Amino acid sequence: MRPHKPLTPYLFAAPALLVFAFAVLAPVLATGAFSLTEWSGFGPMTFTGLGNYVRALGDDVFVGSFLHVTLYIVVTIVLEVAFGLVLAGVLAARRGGSPWFRVALFTPVMLPMVVVAVLWSFVYNGDFGLVNASLSAIGLDGLTRVWLGDPATALLAVCVVSGWVYAGFYMAIFYAALTQIPPEVIEAARLDGAGEARIFARVKVPMIRNAVEVCLLLCVTGGFQTFDLFYVLTGGGPYNATEIPTTYLTRVVFRDGEVGYGSAMAVLMTAVVVLVGIVFMRLRRGRGAEA
Amino acid sequence: MPRIPIGTFALVLLFTAACGGGAKTPSDNVLRIAMVSPGEAQIRVWKDIAGQYEKAHPGSKVELNFQKDTLYQAIGLPSLLNGRQAPDIYFEWAGDRLRTRVKEGFAADLGTQVTGGPLKGLIADSAYNRVKIDGKIVMVPFAADVTNVLWYNPKLLTDAGVQPPKTFDDLLAACDRLNAKGITPITSGNKDLWPAGNWLAHLVSRVVGEQSYHDTLSGKSGMNTPEWERAFGYIAQLKQHRCVNESANAANDNEGAQLFFKGKAAMHPIGSWLVSWAIDEAPGLAFDYVNLPEMPGGMGDQSSVIGVVTGYVVNAKSAKVKESAEFLALANSPANVAAFVKSGTVPLTKGTTPDKEVDQRTIRLDGLLADAKTVVSPPDTGYDLKRADALYRALAAVLGGEKSPKDALAEAASKAG
Repeated sequence: MRPHKPLTPYLFAAPALLVFAFAVLAPVLATGAFSLTEWSGFGPMTFTGLGNYVRALGDDVFVGSFLHVTLYIVVTIVLEVAFGLVLAGVLAARRGGSPWFRVALFTPVMLPMVVVAVLWSFVYNGDFGLVNASLSAIGLDGLTRVWLGDPATALLAVCVVSGWVYAGFYMAIFYAALTQIPPEVIEAARLDGAGEARIFARVKVPMIRNAVEVCLLLCVTGGFQTFDLFYVLTGGGPYNATEIPTTYLTRVVFRDGEVGYGSAMAVLMTAVVVLVGIVFMRLRRGRGAEA
Repeated sequence: MPRIPIGTFALVLLFTAACGGGAKTPSDNVLRIAMVSPGEAQIRVWKDIAGQYEKAHPGSKVELNFQKDTLYQAIGLPSLLNGRQAPDIYFEWAGDRLRTRVKEGFAADLGTQVTGGPLKGLIADSAYNRVKIDGKIVMVPFAADVTNVLWYNPKLLTDAGVQPPKTFDDLLAACDRLNAKGITPITSGNKDLWPAGNWLAHLVSRVVGEQSYHDTLSGKSGMNTPEWERAFGYIAQLKQHRCVNESANAANDNEGAQLFFKGKAAMHPIGSWLVSWAIDEAPGLAFDYVNLPEMPGGMGDQSSVIGVVTGYVVNAKSAKVKESAEFLALANSPANVAAFVKSGTVPLTKGTTPDKEVDQRTIRLDGLLADAKTVVSPPDTGYDLKRADALYRALAAVLGGEKSPKDALAEAASKAG
């Protein structure tokens, strides 16, 4: 049926389109334009063509930041998604267990990340932190170190905090998905003699595959966007060992005042995230077709 | 879980600021003043002065905008100056930053206001020397801060049989003795790079000479020279003698100071603000200072002081230059100067006499700066931030034993541009 007033749908969509154009489209286009200039954010711009992109690709800190964020994502897939899955499996096997247990695991997600980071900076403090004090108390002085000041441990230390926060979040998603599995399927597996671990690995996890894939996508794309935890805990240090694209971009734009270069970095970062997203979706679609 | 896309958010903010584009201050009856947050005691004085001004100028209003110093220094002030409600008066550090403001057209020539206007005779002529750009007075100097001396705990030094170090060799010997006693010789919280950066930049200036230091940080000459390598070699010696806490590059300035306040470290290189800080955090602690120890074979003035003059600039784009000068004159009136002194700051106003309540160490530090033959500007307030950052990162890498002086300098030279 044709509408009587052909402009009406457009008028309804116009406010949302205007907000989208102003809040998303214009800044994205502007960022692309800024990336071709040398500009401090204020005053005149100088057109530099692709100079900022060439510089970014040759900038070892920028390139290294992608390596760091990739390592962070790989470790957090284990600490957040895999551990969250195991926690959800344990809870589901025990029919939910105590609700307080679930609340306790989910609580870190509700804390602002800056608060979490400040708390953990005390835990990791090399001089009076909880980790070193505990190690000393049990006679393991040899293992004490400046966790956030040692390039060998700083990135892993940040990953652990991230895992502590988000394992509960993924656990909540997986737990919700696991409770949707028809009980008769589980019963059938039990009657066939499968143990809880086998049921979890061979029955439950394949049945919540969609939830697992969504969580993996969230973990990967969220990993590229992470900022606050790194910024507060290490500020990208020591010696750029935990520099990730977002912290480096912030440093370049707000500390060095290089908006043009920072914009080129933002464009490259966006391109990488989109590329990863496309690859992920293709893989998912391919596996869907196989199934 | 989706995190805050901070990069995009930041660029959206910048885009919005760029769209604003208004650099002229509005011609209403509001006098806008922006500054770094000077602490509650001083904020009360500024609010009182604002009230006095409003009373003396019926119909006018004073808006005070206090920002955290790191925010103000990097993006806060440029955003305000380029915004639609740009400040008429703003706080600034003398040096390269002030020169940049002049270049951008945000600093009014205050010559007429100082020679024949409301600011006449309030501040000694000599105090204007450091705030003149191209012969023009572009800032009303307010205070002078020593940004780094070596604070020490006399009891810990005495217990270890150590005197406050006068030379670099004394310092290394003190480190060895204190380490033998199980005491951290020097504590620094250098996660943000400026705390040890300021201290070690001063050390470098003493070794390479002030001219080389100035030329290098001004971009006129390179960092990768034998003199600079020699200076960085002394920092490597500090690492070899385990002078500085291992956690230095992971701790922030507050965490670094806590080791000193709790008596776990014998020395702490930081600025004059440690005195007021200690009043709150370690009221019973006895401590004193020495200037940076003399460097062997140094080409610079071995009694130089690292410090900075801060003050207030009147926005050249403001329609209220005269009113701004009147406000600054009011801030420098005897009653208000006395209030500032009570709040722990000693303004540069003529005839200012430190109150009995002002800590003697603060008074001595003011004297140290006033009597100094050579005052070295800190890299982050006196020079281009990018170059300062490259230097600070190189200093931190050598102090932490992560890089050799040669490698650190090579990297700094390439980053400084």
